[in-house]
Amino acid sequence: MATREAGKKMIMLKSPDGMEFEVEEAVAMESQTIRKMIEDDCADTAILIPNINSKILSRVIEYCNKHVPTTGATGAAASDTVAPAALAEDLKIWDAEFIKVNRATRFDLIQAASYLNIKGLLDLTSQTTIDTISDNSLEEIRSFLSTKNDYLPEEEQTIRRENQWAFQ
Amino acid sequence: MIWEILARLPPKALLRCRAVCRAWRRVTSVRNFLLAHHGRQPALPLASQRMNCGNSYYQNIVTFNNRATDAQVQHVARVQLADTIRLDASCDGLLLFTDNSISQLAQNGSTYGTCFSICNPATREHARLPMLSAFLPFGMYRHRPTSEYRILLTQEKDDPVTNAFFIFVLGSAQPPRNIGGWPREMVSVWGDDVLLRGSLHWHLQKHESKSSHIMVFDTTAESFREMRAPVVLDPKRANLFEMYDKLGMSIFNGELKIIDIWMMLDYESEVWALKYRVELPVASLNVQFGQIVENPEVAVHSCDGDVLVLVRFGEWLLHFDTDSRLVASFHHEGLLLGQHRLQETLVPHTFFTTLDSYSVNCQCF
Repeated sequence: MATREAGKKMIMLKSPDGMEFEVEEAVAMESQTIRKMIEDDCADTAILIPNINSKILSRVIEYCNKHVPTTGATGAAASDTVAPAALAEDLKIWDAEFIKVNRATRFDLIQAASYLNIKGLLDLTSQTTIDTISDNSLEEIRSFLSTKNDYLPEEEQTIRRENQWAFQ
Repeated sequence: MIWEILARLPPKALLRCRAVCRAWRRVTSVRNFLLAHHGRQPALPLASQRMNCGNSYYQNIVTFNNRATDAQVQHVARVQLADTIRLDASCDGLLLFTDNSISQLAQNGSTYGTCFSICNPATREHARLPMLSAFLPFGMYRHRPTSEYRILLTQEKDDPVTNAFFIFVLGSAQPPRNIGGWPREMVSVWGDDVLLRGSLHWHLQKHESKSSHIMVFDTTAESFREMRAPVVLDPKRANLFEMYDKLGMSIFNGELKIIDIWMMLDYESEVWALKYRVELPVASLNVQFGQIVENPEVAVHSCDGDVLVLVRFGEWLLHFDTDSRLVASFHHEGLLLGQHRLQETLVPHTFFTTLDSYSVNCQCF
């Protein structure tokens, strides 16, 4: 339901486990997927977010609330008193705290950020995994992501030879 | 989930990951995946670094990544460039540079001329372009209607009336095609080309009127036009760059202490505005990094929403933000800054295999 509260347009987001979250439209529009739904007028009633449970969805909303650009009526006052650099610094610290979650939650957040198309959240949540993959051996990557090696030994050797410099 | 992760890996890590399992190899070999992967790579400022190796010297081409957690300055390729010539062009992960070591070989074999090389540092493919030796490269672009990669060339002539531009299609057997001349008076072109809104842009000064202009080359229509530029006292110290999909110009003046950053607010009406003024704290830099003999050199880049003011200060590369704050410093001797950027790609380019002396993982990497 798109309702109005204190002059701000509100949007209802529903998780598949039946929880409802009322959020400001501007906050919901941090997600490019939801933005498109709103712009295409598909958001008259509550928007069902498939595959994202209430625990993860609430964390995503928390992220969007923090990252929504501070412009407009309420934001103008904030940016008058706080220097942009200090704001960015504050966000970095907040992000670092936000991402202190276990691996399963982080993977769920990556999936949610990917489906909802929230670039900042996707960058933030995937960076640790990207670093792990970049810095570790193939065996360590496989165990970290529970992936099974289904190559024959000679096949793996051929692929390694194809781009030999990548393994140096 | 894994698709998103793989699409964000640096190219080298992605190539390694193909050996993890069959599914990963399959996913990461599809053209659409590789295009998405290229789109997610940062466009990093390029610089070259002169290195001495016995009695010869070569240049390291490096990128600067302010988001990297460890090594922010990273090696891309190693080439033997002429003394003062920098990288000629960069487009979609491809680099075009003058290869002096090869021109010397050609000289002994009776033909003389500069030889150009094209390479993709991510796939380590390299090829020479001997057919361009009589030309000067001006820019490289993807011609949208044909998806071909093309090089804009010129020939140095004293008479501007006979001055002509040429287009060479990478992978084509045809010699460069003459597309006529522009402009009709003597000009000096300063700095590197900047690709924006499907056009290449250069900053130039007309000799007669001493006025500054932006020369624009539409990469689809392949025609030139002219745009307004901010008034510049010393055009040699002004550089174009791309910022938030807008054209920016940095001007280093005020006795080499002030960097003015202009931005074109409206592309259609060509309105420029002074956006930032960065002041170098020269006195304290002299204390921290030593007195310098050569003038500092400046390159302004916009990367992923950040505006980077890079300054070569003696043997140091200094990174300032737009509030004149020194963010980071790196000790790198002989660094040459430029306006080119590299956005790495693993998308296969078919033209490579048609070119002379095509090689993979040759000594230049």
